[in-house]
Amino acid sequence: MNCRKGIVVVAGLFVALLGGMRTAPVQAAADPYYVDDMASANEVNGAAIADPLEPVNRFFFEFNDRLYFWVLKPVSTGYSNVVAEDVRMSIRDFFHNLLAPVRIVNNLLQGKMKNTATEVGRFVINSTLGVAGFGDPAKNEFGLERKEEDLGQTLGVYGAGEGFYICWPLLGPSSLRDTVGLAGDSFLNPLAYVMASDFGAGAGAYGGREVNNTSLTLGDYEDFKEAAFDPYLAVRDAYQQYRRNKVIDASQNGSLYKEQTSGEKQP
Amino acid sequence: MRFPRNILVIGLSLFFMVTAPGGRVVAAPAEPLAVVRQAVDSILVIMQDKKLSGAAKKEERRKRISVVVGGYFDFEEMSMRTLARHWKDRTPEERKQFVGLFRQLLERTYIDKVDNYCRELDASCTGKVVVFKRQEQQGNKAVVYTVFVRNNVETPVEYKLKNEAGKWQVYDVVIEGVSLVRNYRTQFESIITREQFSGLIVKMEEKIKKGEPMENARK
Repeated sequence: MNCRKGIVVVAGLFVALLGGMRTAPVQAAADPYYVDDMASANEVNGAAIADPLEPVNRFFFEFNDRLYFWVLKPVSTGYSNVVAEDVRMSIRDFFHNLLAPVRIVNNLLQGKMKNTATEVGRFVINSTLGVAGFGDPAKNEFGLERKEEDLGQTLGVYGAGEGFYICWPLLGPSSLRDTVGLAGDSFLNPLAYVMASDFGAGAGAYGGREVNNTSLTLGDYEDFKEAAFDPYLAVRDAYQQYRRNKVIDASQNGSLYKEQTSGEKQP
Repeated sequence: MRFPRNILVIGLSLFFMVTAPGGRVVAAPAEPLAVVRQAVDSILVIMQDKKLSGAAKKEERRKRISVVVGGYFDFEEMSMRTLARHWKDRTPEERKQFVGLFRQLLERTYIDKVDNYCRELDASCTGKVVVFKRQEQQGNKAVVYTVFVRNNVETPVEYKLKNEAGKWQVYDVVIEGVSLVRNYRTQFESIITREQFSGLIVKMEEKIKKGEPMENARK
């Protein structure tokens, strides 16, 4: 428990710091080749994320890279040969359902009442009709789409900058803000409680989830690396763009998802 | 874990995407959405062509796709945006060289991905994998929203287009908020800063070469 208290204190300090750490305004904005009048909702223009820890980050990037090729990939490949794909997708849905409290609370914290209700509905339906989350009838039968939110995004919505880039061993790419978010979200994460009471069981659950989810995306990391000139930079930039997009909900603000929830699935 | 590696990754590999379209022939080619759908359809036709199937015809398939892609993608606009501030320092020859290399590189990387992915999905490439959502237009720019579905996971993919002389062409693909152009821009910026433009050209040529033996090995 001491450890948890420590995290909260540290998290509080970080949040206090974040206000002052917003990334500098777009230095290249005046460059006509950057200017994109359709970028408003979709592309995140602006400076690259600060990376004062680059040497350390690159070290852990390498570490994670080797971990993937030496351990995660062989294990996931073996696993995918034994377990059928639809079973693996069900297991993925089960782990996803476990994190519903995180999504519900963060939708609420961001004042997204409709999405909060959607996530509550999804959790109830999938935990019961979906048999403890192994299925997704909420989406397939009721047309309730996922509304992904986490504390990192909530802090972003509140105006916290991303801080700087961190590549964690095992966890992979993150930022100062998202790390704080992750620590906060762990209070709503059942797996974190399992881990706190029984480290072995928790580590097993996290590992199992990682192996299961990786088995559904084998080859993707290799493709990504192959397409990149500097895989470290490619991942860092992709992470930054991906998270900024999540904070401003660019994809959801477009009517991308509205059509699906209202138009289809009429009984 | 909270950064779904798969999303980016598939994303970037889906540059030239394949789909089962709702309507085959689109009547109004002036609409950006129709243009993207046409591009995807044309690629699909090549993928489904029985005369072009099999590993032996891979090179032929790739050539044909490259021709189609050339009509729908504006590689010069793409290169300009990727080099960003370094573009204006380039001579016309350098620009031409860069556009050529960048195009080769993208095609080499992504056409094969689509090809492999297609085989993996189902032999005839007919699985319903892309849903066209809508378009947004602002003067001579447009965004086409699509959703890519794989393993029950939906990934938003947006195509950005520019209209020049009455023709819509794609200049960027944004997957889960990650712009392909910006992703390369970040990498190229860093290479140019350290090794000049000439260093970047060398790296690009190396990368294109490196792709070739693998190509032959797979045959």
